[in-house]
Amino acid sequence: MEILKWTQFTLGTLMLLCGILIFIVQILGVYKFKYVLNRMHAAAIGDTLGIGISLVGLMILSGWNFTTLKLGLVVVFLWCSSPVSSHLISRLEAVTDPNIDRYCEVQEEIRQILDDENKAQKEEE
Amino acid sequence: MSKQISEEEYKKRMFVRLKQWISGEKDPYLGNVEIVPQREYVPDQKRAERYRRDRDRVFARAYDTQHNRFYRFFMRFYKVAALLCCLALVTILLVEVSYLPPIGSDSNPSSNEVSAKYIEDGLQDTGAVNIVTGMILDYRAFDTFGESNVLFIATCTVLILLRNDKKKGKGSAEEEEKRDSYYEPKNDSILQVVSAVLVPIIIIFGIYVILNGHLSPGGGFSGGAIIGAGLILYLNAFGFEKTERFFTEKTYKWISFCALTFYCLAKSYSFYTGAHHLESGIPLGTPGAIISSGLILPLNICVGMVVACTMYAFFALFRKGGF
Repeated sequence: MEILKWTQFTLGTLMLLCGILIFIVQILGVYKFKYVLNRMHAAAIGDTLGIGISLVGLMILSGWNFTTLKLGLVVVFLWCSSPVSSHLISRLEAVTDPNIDRYCEVQEEIRQILDDENKAQKEEE
Repeated sequence: MSKQISEEEYKKRMFVRLKQWISGEKDPYLGNVEIVPQREYVPDQKRAERYRRDRDRVFARAYDTQHNRFYRFFMRFYKVAALLCCLALVTILLVEVSYLPPIGSDSNPSSNEVSAKYIEDGLQDTGAVNIVTGMILDYRAFDTFGESNVLFIATCTVLILLRNDKKKGKGSAEEEEKRDSYYEPKNDSILQVVSAVLVPIIIIFGIYVILNGHLSPGGGFSGGAIIGAGLILYLNAFGFEKTERFFTEKTYKWISFCALTFYCLAKSYSFYTGAHHLESGIPLGTPGAIISSGLILPLNICVGMVVACTMYAFFALFRKGGF
């Protein structure tokens, strides 16, 4: 029983430390990069991977009870919602920035789609 | 100063390379990093000049500074007076602070019998397991009523300031382009799928928080905020045509009016019959059950409805200038 408790503690703490490390990488990236899409990429790492690993660590630490289930639901909710918000930000940037090909390669088909979307939105309004 | 190592050797050291990597000069694999350097901010000279000229013109025409001697005197006096007022306020506040009792003293107002009474008799008086809810919705219910009214008044103020008149402006393309929401992605299929899954869960969770306000942490304010966030997510995903089917300005008005009036009447009745310790005819029920603790549950529902509507109304007003 003692050994089980110690493994639980070490595993949980290791997971939490991993999560904190990923958060540090995220913050470094957010401040280091200058362009929106690069920065957002760095920020999204912490929102999904960092939060996920930290919460799994907390789940291991809390043991087998109702709190663990709640934490699992929180992980599911965050993994559903935060990639979507990143996607929306990047889409806004891609639609509104006319000079986007100065920063990254844009394939011809995607550029066509973006232009069409822009036009369709203007006509719709 | 003598150099202990050559410059090339110095550049190969771990610390220097780490520093270069962090400051974004070099990438260990790619050499120089691909990021385009940020352009410098250049203030627009023309715009600043125009702003200054407009300001001078407004002062000359609207206040007539050349002839209005009183106003000229006022302009000079204004800065001195503002400074004096601020200093006086600071002095008064500092003097007041110096009269406060020391922290941790026995005779402080924070450690008198009121808080002890709340903790001891809260469950018996209010029937609510959650003492905080029992306090804000029973002992201090009129305070919470004022807070709900503040939310309603805030929405009214925002309505006055931001409301878009339908007659002018709407429909013309230039006017549309000025709005911030013009470039927002519309009908995004990823967002629609995700919000179709999430919105019902969020709203059910909000209802749970409101209905369990007297049993567990939560209550009208937090649950209402959750429901409002769910409504805002729904609005962002599906647009105004979908939300206007069930939530318009009329709905907002009626929900706020009914909730606030019910709150006012219910609480007035309970105060009219003598607050607590007197017979009011409202059963408290068994503590711990969902339907218990007298008026707290309906009052929580009222507060939750007002808060949810207020959050949604704020968002709709800032986004479109109307519901």
